[in-house]
Amino acid sequence: MIKFDNVSKRYIDGEEALANINFELSKGELAFITGHSGAGKSTLLKLILAMERASSGQLIVNGMNLNRLGRRRIPFHRRQIGAVFQDHQLLFDRSVFDNVALPLQIAGYHAHEAGRRVRAALDKVGLLCKERLNPAHLSGGEQQRVGIARAVVNRPSIILADEPTGNLDPELSAEVMGVFEQFKSVGVSLLVASHDASLIASLNYRTLTLDHGRLVEDRAAGYAGSENAGR
Amino acid sequence: MPAASARKPPRRQGSAAAALRKWLDGHRMTALTSVRRLLATPVSSLLTVFVIAVSLLLPSLLLALSASLDSLLDGVQQETQISLYLDDSVTDFEAQEVSNDLLTEPDITTVRLISKAQALEEFAASSGLGEVLAALDTNPLPATILVTPVSTEPGRMTALAARLADLPAVTSAQVDSQWLRRLEAFSRLVSVAGGVLSLVVLLGLFVIVGNTIKLAIENRRQEIQVIKLVGGTDAYIARPFLYSGVYFGGAGGALAALMQAIVFTIFNSPLRELFSLYEGELTLLQFGGIDMAALVVAGIVIGWFAALFASLRSILAMQP
Repeated sequence: MIKFDNVSKRYIDGEEALANINFELSKGELAFITGHSGAGKSTLLKLILAMERASSGQLIVNGMNLNRLGRRRIPFHRRQIGAVFQDHQLLFDRSVFDNVALPLQIAGYHAHEAGRRVRAALDKVGLLCKERLNPAHLSGGEQQRVGIARAVVNRPSIILADEPTGNLDPELSAEVMGVFEQFKSVGVSLLVASHDASLIASLNYRTLTLDHGRLVEDRAAGYAGSENAGR
Repeated sequence: MPAASARKPPRRQGSAAAALRKWLDGHRMTALTSVRRLLATPVSSLLTVFVIAVSLLLPSLLLALSASLDSLLDGVQQETQISLYLDDSVTDFEAQEVSNDLLTEPDITTVRLISKAQALEEFAASSGLGEVLAALDTNPLPATILVTPVSTEPGRMTALAARLADLPAVTSAQVDSQWLRRLEAFSRLVSVAGGVLSLVVLLGLFVIVGNTIKLAIENRRQEIQVIKLVGGTDAYIARPFLYSGVYFGGAGGALAALMQAIVFTIFNSPLRELFSLYEGELTLLQFGGIDMAALVVAGIVIGWFAALFASLRSILAMQP
């Protein structure tokens, strides 16, 4: 589904955000990306979304080599990906419902069909009762969940999440991860950037660890992570 | 459950009609959203429309004025005549003979003889100096033959006048086309000025509409970035702004048409009075439905193009 082949990202000022990244995420797989802040987690997600271009190496997403992805194809590439952003990226000039409906509107869904899907997505994150509110009136955790509903509403084949549980208490974090696991079980590939060590340890999925732009550890799923929980 | 339908395409039937309906639905929604946005800031929207209207009005007035002058000249030119003033010694009978001879000339269509007596009569009636004239011993006015030539082209008229002036009975022949040529030159000047002003205004409108759209895009930067992130195409992003451009241009054109109609109504009656002194029976400044529609269409086209350039430039520059 996602394949990094010796991918590096250098910025114009010479800063190397990612260096020689190699890994593959298959269909229906869920993996965490962890590491200190500035280790390159967000850059890695941005490369998959084609928000940034790799400086060298090949990045293949859904069979598409992103180096050869023309500007005009980028929107259609992004429609296959549901992304949850650290800063939520919600619009405060419209309701929660309209925020979640945005990807469907863009893809040209009928209002009726879109409404059904939006309510289903909001129901999954437990915000159905707040669909008419403006997201500005919601707490940080609720805003995050609106962002998650928007990411999954289009039923993408890939879900990327940047610190999706950052503002949530442990109980809500577990719920959100439950939603992600549901998508995993139907064949969606998920990449979740997080530094919530206890959450990662408790779920025991594959974990990729970044350090100063290098992939220093690729720990397979099912590993008893007890002795490494503090990392 | 996201289950089996995880990657089913959004379109239920693949028919072209359904796709077209979907596309039209999308446009209708965008069009309405765009109206709502403009109405949300009524004062600045109205100001923009007003500026566009005034810019369109100036060249439109000039071009319409030039067109009116042209049609006026066409009407007048057909009535252009050559006046032949006859020698005092020519009798009424001889004058009649001369005018009959002229009628056989191939270059001349009509001939009208005004005898000395008739001239005096007409002059007395139109000047109101009847009593003064009656007190005169002799009639000071010459007999005149008014000749309408076949060709109203200036060069040929001058040649004909020169030839007729050589007739023994004629003292002088006068072509009253000097003022006409001046009016023609003036009309050309107005038309050129209108054309040049149109170009200047076109540039100005591009800047005005383009800037307005650019500001609107800046104000919605956050929204555009989010739309890009969830897969909106550049065309989808630009669409509401193109509608704004069309609305601004169309409303500006309509307002310009209204203002021009008012200006022409105000000017027409004094102008008609002026020209009735010259025995003209003309509707001078014409401004009909087609001209109004042309102004609106011009506004729409300019607005759309300006918005297209502005939005493409701004949106392409935003690379998330």
